[in-house]
This record gives sequence, C-alpha cells and structure tokens, in this order.
Amino acid sequence: MQDKMNQASLFQVKNLTVEYHSGDSIIHAVSGVSFDLQPGETLGLVGETGAGKTTIARASLRILPEYSVERVDGEILYNGEDILKMNDAQLRKLRGEHISMIFQDPMTALNPVKTVMSQIAEGYKEHHKCTQAEANRRAIEMLEMVGIGADRANEYPHQFSGGMKQRVVIALALACSPKVLIADEPTTALDVTIQAQVLDLIKGLRNELGTAMILITHDLGIVADVCDKVCVIYAGRIVESGTKEDIFDHPTHPYTQGLFAALPDLEHDVPRLKPIEGLPPDPSQERRFCDFLDRCPHRCRACKAFAKDSMIEVSPGHYSRCWRTGSEEA
Amino acid sequence: MAALIEVKNLKKYFKSAAGMVHAVDDISFEIQKGETVGLVGESGCGKSTLGRTLIHLNESTGGQIFYDGRDVTTLNKRQLVEFRRDVQMIFQDPFSSLDPRQTVQDIIEEPLHLTGGMNREQIRERTRELMDTVGIEKRLRMSYPHELDGGRRQRVGIARALALNPKFIVCDEPVSALDVSIQAQILNLLMDLQDQMGLTYLFITHDMSVVKHISNQICVMYLGQMVEKSPKDELFERPLHPYTKALLSAIPTTDIHHPKQRILLKGEIKSPINPGPGCRFASRCPYADEGCKAGVTLNEALPGHFVACNKAKEINLL
Repeated sequence: MQDKMNQASLFQVKNLTVEYHSGDSIIHAVSGVSFDLQPGETLGLVGETGAGKTTIARASLRILPEYSVERVDGEILYNGEDILKMNDAQLRKLRGEHISMIFQDPMTALNPVKTVMSQIAEGYKEHHKCTQAEANRRAIEMLEMVGIGADRANEYPHQFSGGMKQRVVIALALACSPKVLIADEPTTALDVTIQAQVLDLIKGLRNELGTAMILITHDLGIVADVCDKVCVIYAGRIVESGTKEDIFDHPTHPYTQGLFAALPDLEHDVPRLKPIEGLPPDPSQERRFCDFLDRCPHRCRACKAFAKDSMIEVSPGHYSRCWRTGSEEA
Repeated sequence: MAALIEVKNLKKYFKSAAGMVHAVDDISFEIQKGETVGLVGESGCGKSTLGRTLIHLNESTGGQIFYDGRDVTTLNKRQLVEFRRDVQMIFQDPFSSLDPRQTVQDIIEEPLHLTGGMNREQIRERTRELMDTVGIEKRLRMSYPHELDGGRRQRVGIARALALNPKFIVCDEPVSALDVSIQAQILNLLMDLQDQMGLTYLFITHDMSVVKHISNQICVMYLGQMVEKSPKDELFERPLHPYTKALLSAIPTTDIHHPKQRILLKGEIKSPINPGPGCRFASRCPYADEGCKAGVTLNEALPGHFVACNKAKEINLL
C-alpha cells in the first residue's frame, strides 16, 4: 500500500500523525497512517474505541479540536492538493462540496432550532449561486431521496425518530454531491432493523452518485456488507490493510485474527468466547516495539528485534505489520 | 426445575404530557433457576423498564411478579429489603453507574456495610475475595472509576452486584458499551460466575449474537409487548413472528461470500403513547391486513414456542 500510491488517487493520506496534549502528557492518537481511495471505492477503517479512527476522519476535514492538538504531520491529498496546507477560503469550498461527513450521533449533528429543509438548503446555497427557492427545492429532493416526504420538510429535528434523523444527516452530507464521503459510525446509534435500512440507503446512493467513501466502524459485519478495502487500526497505526477478501478470508495480523475470534458466532455455538487478553496500550506512552506485543498470543523475544515502522506484503496489496507474516503460519 | 421468577400480565405505564406511555404491556414469562433468559428488542421497546420493574425498582402498574413463589408486588418494606439482597442489577453504562467519588473498594463494600452483620475485617476480606472473583487486580483497590477502562469498570459493577450472594441478576446491556475484545472477556466472566454460583440471569441486549451466545430462552419484545418467546436454538432456526424474522435477517454477518437476504422493513416505529388495540407491528409488517387491527395474543404455536401474530400459522405454514 505504501509505494504504489499513484497520482490517480482521488483522496490520499500519507504518513498522517496526530498528537494531542493532555495535561503534561502527549497523546499519540494517530501515527504514520497512509491509505488511498479511488473514485467510487469504499474503504473501511476498523478498530476499537480510542484506536484513532475518528481523529483520522476529523483531520481529513481539518476539524480537529484546535485547543488540544499538539502536532499534525503528513499529507492529506485531495486531487493532489494538500488539505493540511489549505487556507480558510479553500477549506470552506472543500467542505461539503468536495468532501463531507456523516457524524456518528444524529441527535447532536443537527441544529435543533432550524427546520430540516433550511439546514440542507443552507449548505447548498453556500456552494452554489442559486436562489433560496432553488436551494429549498434541492433540499426537498434530497429528503425524498432518503425517503422523507416533502410534507415533513418544514419540521424540526426533534419531530423525527433516530433513524429518520440519521437519514436527514445523510441528505445533508450528500446535498452538494461530494466526491468523498466520510461516514463516522453512521449506524452505531441505530437499531439493527433501522441500521439495515440506512446501510442500504448509503450503498444505493454511493452506486447512484459514484461517491467514494470512508466508512469508520467497529462492526466487522458492516464492513463485510459495504466495503471494498479495509484498514485495521490498532493504537493509532494501521496493523493490516488489503481488500475485503484479503482481510476476511486471510486475516494475518494477530490483532485482526483476535478480533474475528472474539465475536460470538451466529452459525456455530461455542462454549466460551476467545477474548483478546489484556488492554490496549496507554496512548501517552511512547512504545519502542510492536503496539500489540503485550496482548499477542504469538509474542516472543524476536518481536523486539523488528522495527515496527515497516509493513510486510502478504500478497499483492495485502499488508500486515507483523514480522511473523510469511515467515510461518502466524 | 422450579421457576425462580414468574411474571404474570405485568404492566408498567408512565404518564407523559401526551398521554400514557405503555412501556410494558401485559407481559408474562418465567425464568427457571440457573437459567438465562435473553430479552431482545429495539431501543425504546421497554426492555430496561421490564428489567427494572421486575426487581421492583419501578412500581408496576398492574400484574404480578413471583420470586420463589412470593408475590413481590405485595411485599412490605422489611420484606423488600430481604428481597433486594437476593436480586441485583448490572447496568449498561459502567461510566455512569459508579460513584465517581468512591474508590473501587468503597463501591464494592457499600452493600456489605448497608446490610450489616459483618465486622470491618470480614468486610475487607470479602471485598478482596470479590475483586479476585471478577478479576480486578489488588493494586486497583484505591483507584477511582475514572482511572479505570470500561472493561474494568464493568467488573467493579459485577463485583458490587455479587457482594451479597444474590440468586438473580438483571444484566441490562452489560457489554453494549464495550469493545468486542473486552466484551468477550465480560461474557465469559458472567457465564463462569453462573456456573460457579448457580446464578439466574435476565440478560437484556439488542445484540442478537450476544443473546444467542448466553441465553437458554429468548423473549423478543416490540413496543412494550412480547411478540415471541422460545428456546434459543428454536428461535434462530425457526423464527415465527415477522418482526423476529426481520430482526434476525438484519444482523450484519462477517461471511463475505454468503451475503444474507435481508428483510427490509418499511415505515417507522409506532408511538408507545396510547397505542390502542391491535398488533403494534402492523404498521411495518409486510403481511398485515385489516384483521391485525383487532388485537393479538401470545399463543403456543409449536411446543414451547410462543408467538403473538394472528397470521403466524399462515406465514409459516404450520
């Protein structure tokens, strides 16, 4: 994944590092993350709480909380232009029109004192030279696309259920037909039957509009359903990346394997689950060796000789950050 | 085996500005000693209210709850104290269910102090024992909840629930706030404790794979009512209610080569305020017709397998 990135990428993250300060310590939230995205492709970022998924998403739109960010390094290229170097005017143009985001919690992502139509129209008007009436028409069109009737366009967010609110958020994110959509746990706050509706909607719209998507989730089932490519993130680093088939058919990094093993299986009954022992490392500590070392069932002394900055190519396009990869059945 | 918990026509309504919220409406089921009953349903369907009403944290609006043969709804104050020694609860959110100003040790000790009968030394000893049982390192004795991660906090909540040797525990989404790797640790712990102490659980969750892993019986709730009740394997192999079918089909699977045929529900969930008679799922049900507006009852469609659907026979060709 590292060196075959080419100019054709629509969206590309190179060596992204984000650090926060918290009290006297430095939190290493994201370390050296790289990936790329082609038009129409869906990339899944999978990992546990605190792995750095949302930080990557927020960095991509430059909406990290400024007061706590210590350092942002690397490049985030959209059509070859570095988002991290853009000025305010460029950012304003970028956000919403080229890259937009679906936030995790639909309850807090909407403005409670504006009707849903005016919220969607506002963004559209900002990016297009058009009249209010045209913007309103676009808003109604978007609402209808996500299955909300025009008769409800003048209602306020609190009048909608959770699933409908999330659909409003999706309509809002897609109103300007962005080229890249970042969906940060778009269905985590929803029930499974509603989740199925929303995922179908996102898939349909993606196919219709050809939007490239970064889907952030901790649910491997959702990744299996929606994504083409997957990056597994652990403690701020990508530990394994590849196509969906690579990751699901041949999980190679011990962490990825552990994640699959820890899931209760609907098809086969097992008397005991296999948890990953231990806890994720403290993000304020600088670690010299593999981040997963303390929890890894395969750890041995040789692990401390391996530079954790390099990834090993398992097969073309499938990378793993474990030195045992390929040397034997890890 | 005798039923430890028997619920008959339990109702819990809440007053709201718009009318009566029928949070739990006419629910009956039982839990055998040493068994786990899984309670599933979407958010807002009344699962937690049912759990809380069951152990009398909420006053019930109607119906009866028998614990070991005695009706809980008629207990006086003194009897309630005794009852509460036997029943405990583990809460969903380990971040808000622990007092932030108490140390781990204080939290676990509190129930022991409240019930009396133990001196300081015995209480310390018991606390050490409990921390050991749930796997919290001794060095964390004097830590505060904010210093612990989610998994350890949930272990503290479990230790507190176990302090008085309860017989029945209501587990209200105990692993929903945890990551999968930690979730598996807590599920294993709960199952081990059940084996060692003969505990009986009501396990509330919205995660179907978790409920399948831990339960013996499963009850499915929809908008305050029970729509299906069955032994675990039977429910997964042969769901009879259209809602259960949709729920099972909507679980995301990690098998990328055999994608599931999902049943997509149309429409929105009906309001639980004054829902009126008739099947509450009818507004989203692909099979609903005029007859469904009249009302439904929970019937035994197959041995031990109950379903509340007028058309269950027709849909499932029974």
